[in-house]
Amino acid sequence: MRTIGMKRALIGAAIAALAMNAPAAHAATATGTAKAKILRQITLSNTSDLQFATVISGATASTVAVSTAGGVTCGTGLTCTGTTTAANFDITGTNGAVVVVGGDANVTLNGSLGGTMNSTLSYSATNVTLGATGGSFQVGGTLSVGANQTAGDYSGTFNVTANYQ
Amino acid sequence: MFRFFRGFCLLAAAVCSSTAPSAHAAGDLLVAPTRVILDGSRGTEVVLNNIGAEPATYRVSLEVKRMTAEGGLDEIDEANANAAERAALDMIAFSPRRVTLPPNQPQVIRIGVRIPEGLAPGEYRAHMLFRAVPDAAPAVVDPAKPKGEGVSIALTPIYGITIPIIVRVGDLAATAKIGEAWVGDTRDGPAFNFHLTRTGNRSVYGDIAVTRPGVAEPLLLARGIAVYPEVGDRTVSLRVPAEVAAKLRGPVQIRYSEDREVGGATIDQADRVVK
Repeated sequence: MRTIGMKRALIGAAIAALAMNAPAAHAATATGTAKAKILRQITLSNTSDLQFATVISGATASTVAVSTAGGVTCGTGLTCTGTTTAANFDITGTNGAVVVVGGDANVTLNGSLGGTMNSTLSYSATNVTLGATGGSFQVGGTLSVGANQTAGDYSGTFNVTANYQ
Repeated sequence: MFRFFRGFCLLAAAVCSSTAPSAHAAGDLLVAPTRVILDGSRGTEVVLNNIGAEPATYRVSLEVKRMTAEGGLDEIDEANANAAERAALDMIAFSPRRVTLPPNQPQVIRIGVRIPEGLAPGEYRAHMLFRAVPDAAPAVVDPAKPKGEGVSIALTPIYGITIPIIVRVGDLAATAKIGEAWVGDTRDGPAFNFHLTRTGNRSVYGDIAVTRPGVAEPLLLARGIAVYPEVGDRTVSLRVPAEVAAKLRGPVQIRYSEDREVGGATIDQADRVVK
């Protein structure tokens, strides 16, 4: 009876470790105890968005570039206000694991009052080797703003994946 | 009262949304294990966990990916899948395909395989994609923005994790050879590069350790490097800090070993002088 209780406790602990993403689940090997198998895992978290902030278009077409470090390059003829950020993704997993980063190369944004814009996307890395605390990659972009671009709120979605090979 | 606050928030979205992003966004996820190999008809399970702070709906799907000579994974449209890739998509069954999870709630995804009779021996592979279905983020309105002027932009990433699901049919074997090694510059900084050549009728998978003769501590460790059957030769390019890049130049031993889970036997070991 006591052994069964013990077993249950162990299994419970293993599930809890997995569920709560506790450090125990980060164990590099899959050699679990006799009662619980620790699986290798990967986590992906989006900690900041790609923000171009606000752009006021000019009489000629131009571009706004946000680097993967988050810095902004406001093209000639444009007025850029607000704080820009690059998208950041944190990855955790087995120490030393190589994760391949994939994602869309460009994105189309649709305006609330009509009009579209395109942005190319740039990735800080094609692959990430995870350290003891994981790793991260950033996504920047270059937005093409048309001459006298229709004002409004533009939105779009882009795909990003962290791939184990 | 709360509703009122929400409404207020929409009006002054810039103020509110700048404080909104938390350490864990809705849609963050955990997947375990990170690689699945099926041989025969036995299935397996993969755990998906919502590690975000809010409930999220996740979709599970199969994708076709092909390895490139540079070691990248190209996404292939299902319509352009070749016969083997099509066979992999058709023989791998899984459920559920869509699940809504509260925070910290794991869900088991059951994976089964039905190998059609008369299927040619070989390795069949698809990549299982787990990703959250996002709520569209509203465009951030800048109160400083003059009315009717300027554009505000909201880009919502749809992000997910893929793991390979590999089905092996028949008696398969493969081996790999380590080629030339060099330190080169990428646009993101220095990288340690080497060629990996594969022969045989399945993929090879394992860990890389780069050591200096006479030094116990490895200079570089990289786990989970695969060469898939669609490529015979790939470049492995690992970004390293500048100080590691400097140390790597000169005579080194590169060891490519099987996964520790299957014993860690050496696949190939080579002495190279890194240029």
